[in-house]
Amino acid sequence: MDLLPQLILAGVVIGSIYALAALGFVLIYKSSRVINFAHGQIIATGAFIAFALTQRGVNFWLAGLIAMLATFLLGMLIERVFLRRMVGEPIISVIMVTIGLSSVIDGLLHLTPYGAGSFSFQTPAVLTGQGLELFGTPLSRTQIAGVLAALGLLAGFTYFFNKSTLGITMRAVADDQMAAMSVGTSVERVFALAWAAAGLSAAAAGVILGLMSGLTLGGLAGIGLKVFPVVILGGLDSVVGAIVGGMLIGILENLSAGYLDAIVPGGGTREVFPFIVLIAVLLIRPYGLFGTKEIERV
Amino acid sequence: MPASRFTQTGNYRTRYRQDQTIFATWAEQLSLIVFVGLLLALPLLLPKTLLRDVNLIMIYAVAVIGLNVTTGYTGLINIGQAAFMGVGAYATALAATRLNLPFFLAIPLGGVAGALVGTFVGLPSLRLKYLYLAVATLAFQIIFEWTVGHLPILQQGGAIPLPTVQVFGIRDTFFNHNIFWYYLILPVLVLLALLWRNVLRTRHGRALIAVRDNDRAAAAMGIHPGRAKLTAFLIGSFYAGIAGGLFAYFQKAVVIEDYGLHISVQLLAMAIVGGLGSLPGAFLGPLFIVALDRSMEAASGWLGAQNLFPEGVDAATALRPLAFGLTIVLFLMFEPRGLANWWRLSRMYFKKWPYKF
Repeated sequence: MDLLPQLILAGVVIGSIYALAALGFVLIYKSSRVINFAHGQIIATGAFIAFALTQRGVNFWLAGLIAMLATFLLGMLIERVFLRRMVGEPIISVIMVTIGLSSVIDGLLHLTPYGAGSFSFQTPAVLTGQGLELFGTPLSRTQIAGVLAALGLLAGFTYFFNKSTLGITMRAVADDQMAAMSVGTSVERVFALAWAAAGLSAAAAGVILGLMSGLTLGGLAGIGLKVFPVVILGGLDSVVGAIVGGMLIGILENLSAGYLDAIVPGGGTREVFPFIVLIAVLLIRPYGLFGTKEIERV
Repeated sequence: MPASRFTQTGNYRTRYRQDQTIFATWAEQLSLIVFVGLLLALPLLLPKTLLRDVNLIMIYAVAVIGLNVTTGYTGLINIGQAAFMGVGAYATALAATRLNLPFFLAIPLGGVAGALVGTFVGLPSLRLKYLYLAVATLAFQIIFEWTVGHLPILQQGGAIPLPTVQVFGIRDTFFNHNIFWYYLILPVLVLLALLWRNVLRTRHGRALIAVRDNDRAAAAMGIHPGRAKLTAFLIGSFYAGIAGGLFAYFQKAVVIEDYGLHISVQLLAMAIVGGLGSLPGAFLGPLFIVALDRSMEAASGWLGAQNLFPEGVDAATALRPLAFGLTIVLFLMFEPRGLANWWRLSRMYFKKWPYKF
């Protein structure tokens, strides 16, 4: 069993979740130029809603769908109540509002019985059987299903943006708000939709991650931080960038864990390596691989 | 004429000498004397348990003044102020334990270490703006926490105890600990606050504000925006380093948890709740956030005793972030200029009383 393909495959598995999480992030940034620090908490909310439903005997797939619908509405609600008032405010205010929201959601989750403990989904029967072996690396069925679901959702979103009228409208608003408004597009509706779509993808990421590695508030909300290296590498406003960045960060993270942990005393390079990549990308190519070049020198 | 009134309501000055005075009326002078007297007498008036919080507030106020320099006055978003504090704290701890330096050398050394690292971290600000810079400081915060957690010389983030301090023959003991540090932190805070207040009046301070408001216009007026931004990072992280050194000595040990990401967020919240870009805000913000934290602890203890929450729910870990987050959001939505604005409004009210405007 060779180390390299194993590490790369593990990277792709976790990377697809990063990509899904980054997608929600990019959607919000692209449409409304808001950096959403509460994204990790929305992911956790989605995962715990699904878990709470399965605990009450709801079918896993149905619970996942309901959770996605719930975070869809949650995203819309957050935009409506908090972010809509912040249009035109300085960027620091907008960032701090999302940081404040992340704290609020954290507190609310701690009020439920799921805040402190660690839980795991009852794996559905379809996913329990024998897995697959790829390049001499065993992959469980949950992992394969997770990657496929993430890729499917990402493909769906890409299709939505490129082909459907609504998606094209959203892209138009992202490109030039003024121009979009002057041809009669409702910018407010697009903002709400972007937040809702981000919420939907967040719940999907949460459920998939919960299925693969269990549910803890810290672990799920922590994905919200991992999103930053991903989107900076891929480009803050690029959907393709989110996907490529997610996979790349997932793979790099696993490679560093595989090859650098032995050199670094204490190991654990997995947690820090993405952020070193982030700094390097910021210094060399701040707009990322696929982002719009809007950086100016001073 | 003005000397007979409590506050000056208009410009009655007829000589340059009057223009140069710091206090326009004797009432202002008296209020300052009373205020300083109160500050010096505070340890006698307050219960001992509260004095510890007062010390914490003063240390955070030093860090928040620094954060205000970078974020409030210069507009560079900094989500890594706690890491700069940590750099100062660890530098102080190393200087005190390895080099056996006395504390009055170790703490400034921590400030210098913070300033050096801060300026280095600020280098991306030459190229990046707004969001990107926020993300860069965030990355530094995480890299800092990880690095400290892996360095054997720093006990891998575990506790590094600091030596006991002695000033003018008075030793820092268990019984006088809070009072002892109160009288040590207070002059440092006053000195640093006055220092910044006066830097703000120089062309360097004005340059920072010009860069925040419009860096291209500032460049057109002959200010070097890059140099101004680095200056802001230098000053801001120097203050953070001093605060870290004080915090290290005050807590008697350096632990990585005291300089984590959530502390950075708290410092930002203090700066915002107090009022970004205002010196009174740098005191009001820490006061408000620490008071909120303590009252939430008390409230959750009371609510927990009433059995209001289901089994397995720790009310304190739920209520504290909830109240903290709500405070930030509500302040940003309804009073973006922070408590400093309330302070200003109430001062104006008394100044103009009995007229409304």
